[in-house]
Amino acid sequence: METVIANIASAIPGTTGYIYPNEFELHWSLLIVIYPYLTGLVAGAFILASLERVFKVHEITPVYRLSLVTALAFLIVAPMPLLAHLGHPERNYEMFLTPNTSSAMAMFGFVYAWYLLGVLLLELWLDYRRDIVKWSNEKTGIARYFYKFSTLGATDISPKAIEFDEKASRFITIVGVPSAFLLHGYVGFIFGSVKANPWWSSVLMPIVFLFSAIVSGIALMILVYMISTMFRWKKMDMACLNKLASFLLYAMLVDFTLEALDFIHRLYESEESITILSEMISNRLFISLIVAQIILGSLAPLVGIIMAKMGKVPDEMKRMLYFISALLVQVGIFSTRWNVVIGGQLFSKSLRGLTVYKLELFGLEGLFMAITLLIAPVIILYILVKLFPPWMDKPELDVAAAKEAVAPAKETE
Amino acid sequence: MQRIPQQLIPLIIMIVAIIGSLITARTLLVPDSFGDLGHYRADNTGEVAALELSYAGAHVCADCHDDISETKRDSHHSGVACESCHGPALAHTEAPDEFIPDAPRGRDGCLLCHGYNPARPSGFPQILPGQHNPTKACLICHAPHDPQLPHTAEDCSACHREISNRKQVSHHSSVACTECHKATDEHRASPRIVRAEKPRKAEVCGNCHARGADSSREIPRIDMDTHGGRYICWDCHYPHFPETNL
Ligand code: HEC
Ligand code: HEC
Ligand code: HEC
Ligand code: HEC
Ligand code: HEC
Ligand code: HEC
Ligand code: HEC
Ligand code: HEC
Repeated sequence: METVIANIASAIPGTTGYIYPNEFELHWSLLIVIYPYLTGLVAGAFILASLERVFKVHEITPVYRLSLVTALAFLIVAPMPLLAHLGHPERNYEMFLTPNTSSAMAMFGFVYAWYLLGVLLLELWLDYRRDIVKWSNEKTGIARYFYKFSTLGATDISPKAIEFDEKASRFITIVGVPSAFLLHGYVGFIFGSVKANPWWSSVLMPIVFLFSAIVSGIALMILVYMISTMFRWKKMDMACLNKLASFLLYAMLVDFTLEALDFIHRLYESEESITILSEMISNRLFISLIVAQIILGSLAPLVGIIMAKMGKVPDEMKRMLYFISALLVQVGIFSTRWNVVIGGQLFSKSLRGLTVYKLELFGLEGLFMAITLLIAPVIILYILVKLFPPWMDKPELDVAAAKEAVAPAKETE
Repeated sequence: MQRIPQQLIPLIIMIVAIIGSLITARTLLVPDSFGDLGHYRADNTGEVAALELSYAGAHVCADCHDDISETKRDSHHSGVACESCHGPALAHTEAPDEFIPDAPRGRDGCLLCHGYNPARPSGFPQILPGQHNPTKACLICHAPHDPQLPHTAEDCSACHREISNRKQVSHHSSVACTECHKATDEHRASPRIVRAEKPRKAEVCGNCHARGADSSREIPRIDMDTHGGRYICWDCHYPHFPETNL
């Protein structure tokens, strides 16, 4: 008897209850967790930047360009997990040549291309144009030619031209906000429209994804802003940080409410899947959902930010709280993605058993690939920031005229 | 004095270039027959059909190896084509002396089909390689062209591995298969000719689970008249892995 059980354990380790034979192995791996995580950061960072542009929240001007550059760095990497997961990355262009309109996944290529070319790059170029023209005159050597090329021949920086740039870029931001919603709402849509999977199938999915995207994007910008300012030996702009933290707080409240709504709705509906889902939550997802997503990733940062806002704490302490909260939010959002993608495959469609996810280390879908993909955007961001310094430090006195003083690139760096 | 702002010019050029290159790429790269039959290249079907053959097919071998074909025809392996084991052998049928197919004498070839895998259909003979005469070549005991068991399989798990594994870790682990199924020795010898019986009436379960049944005290009891309503027991309980958290 013991040997028989040992044998079963070796044939199907970790599974409990009854699962169908084709569910022993998970098909959507860690890379598919990374993909919505990265796109979420992009959409979130962009929406944050648009607050400055469209809604004229001038406190956050210091992170406006930085957000756009960050969004770009992460957007470049966002489709890579998909390409690695599908294999044959060299065939990717084919989906543009023969668009398959009945496949949401195939149409993503167009959403992505539009967002990259039509929104983000265009807005960045218009925004940087004046500086690029200036650098192309100031710099020497190869750098000079690089910036000259980047002007694309448009060297007119008369006040009238600049005014046009501003108008155009505001218009693009207005178009860009729905585009960013589309980009990430789409990712939620992909999951939400899988009818056969009770863990995914939910009309709320795109909206929940969107708000978690905004949360993760704002938290990311808090981190990027704090770290970059530290390395540039500059003083942090507390007004900006406070504003960012407020936005983070609001977005988290909405996000948390939506997810709670989704959860209560499921409990109330109590479809036949509810037993296995609660078993999955209490067994398989306990650490990643209850501990990492809810306690560490939502409640702890909420408390942290509220403490920093409400209590009379010195700036030093505030910064500390913001930083830790933003870090925890990243952990939380990553767990959210994990719980959606991996969780949706852990229970059997027989609703009678649970399987396990075995993460591989090496290989195209392994842990190292995932880590590489998470580090890549940071490296790209570093290079972008070196080439196109996005700093918009306010001259310490004149806050109102901040917009006039679009950051001069500091040669001292 | 320019009418359109200068910076729009490179942008317009670029948009035109992108759209232009997309159109050119579509005309140049999308194959002519794409979309004729569906969202794929229709010519592809013809190309695949024209590929060089490497398999001779299930019947050609009989022309020369009639003895083996005949043995195999009446064996358990009647449904397994020669080339499933010997590999593609079209070249061999054209020049028998020059190209000689492999004969897989190791254990791995057999385990490809007979190693335990939960996805295989119920009744398919499967073994646990680590326990079934490990290290010995299968050919010592089973002839590949007429595989026989040295003696009739002792246990139902020989062919119903998945069911028996499930049952083994369930509340019914102590209940023998034959408590519920009538399976004769003939079923174990030639399962497809002599079938085993499946329970048809709830009484099979009632033997143990009815209120007044003469069975061990630990077995949970139910009221056979009301429990489950008008459904038969196994509409709700999987008999090989009964659960109550339905
Ligand atoms: C035209 C007649 C012919 C056909 C058709 C033919 N064979 Fe053979 N086969 C032979 C001959 C002759 C030999 C003996 C060759 C030798 O030993 O030199 C042989 C030998 C073999 C061997 C022995 C290899 C060994 O290790 O001893 C195998 C295996 C084999 N054939 C498989 C097949 C299969 C499978 C097919 C069907 C796809 C097939 N043959 C069709 C004539 C044929
Ligand atoms: C289940 C896998 C399997 C199938 C199916 C199979 N063979 Fe074999 N065959 C073997 C193995 C293993 C050997 C080696 C036997 C040995 O060395 O004792 C072999 C040996 C042979 C040989 C050479 C030795 C001998 O017994 O003469 C020939 C010829 C042969 N097979 C032909 C065929 C033909 C023809 C068919 C189809 C009618 C066929 N085989 C189907 C596994 C298979
Ligand atoms: C391509 C798949 C395949 C390969 C390879 C294969 N077999 Fe089989 N085997 C079968 C099938 C199919 C049956 C028939 C099962 C049934 O009756 O439902 C079978 C039946 C058997 C049986 C009969 C069990 C019984 O019910 O009495 C034995 C023994 C056996 N094979 C041994 C072998 C050996 C030894 C090898 C390696 C030389 C081998 N098989 C390779 C597919 C395969
Ligand atoms: C020492 C002899 C011996 C060797 C070697 C051997 N078997 Fe068996 N095999 C048996 C006997 C005896 C039975 C029937 C009794 C039983 O159920 O275990 C059997 C049964 C089987 C069955 C039917 C299912 C079952 O569990 O009863 C299959 C399939 C099978 N063997 C395949 C293989 C394969 C494949 C190999 C090589 C990897 C192999 N055997 C090696 C003796 C052997
Ligand atoms: C040698 C292999 C083998 C052994 C041993 C074996 N069976 Fe089967 N059994 C089969 C096969 C093959 C089928 C599938 C027949 C079909 O679907 O045509 C089957 C089918 C069945 C069925 C389903 C019949 C139906 O109508 O769907 C039951 C029940 C069953 N077996 C019970 C048993 C029990 C109980 C034992 C042990 C006493 C046992 N079998 C031992 C091969 C085996
Ligand atoms: C508690 C009673 C019970 C026991 C013990 C039991 N079975 Fe069954 N089995 C059933 C019932 C009831 C069905 C019919 C299910 C249906 O028709 O949906 C069945 C169906 C089957 C079938 C055909 C359907 C299928 O899933 O392939 C096979 C084969 C089978 N049993 C094999 C076995 C074997 C082998 C064992 C021992 C390891 C076993 N059973 C033990 C009650 C039992
Ligand atoms: C030979 C006696 C026997 C027969 C026949 C039998 N069972 Fe059982 N059953 C048991 C035993 C023993 C237990 C385990 C009691 C325990 O766990 O202590 C059990 C437990 C159960 C349980 C409870 C599982 C749990 O989670 O506690 C269910 C449900 C069940 N059987 C359903 C069935 C159905 C349906 C059938 C008819 C297909 C059936 N049984 C036929 C002996 C039997
Ligand atoms: C409509 C679905 C349904 C059908 C049909 C059904 N059951 Fe149940 N059974 C349940 C549920 C739900 C439970 C657990 C809740 C309870 O104890 O009532 C259960 C519990 C049991 C238990 C465990 C009772 C205990 O005290 O732990 C046994 C034994 C059992 N059923 C046997 C049977 C038998 C035998 C039949 C056929 C006469 C059968 N069931 C038909 C749904 C069903």
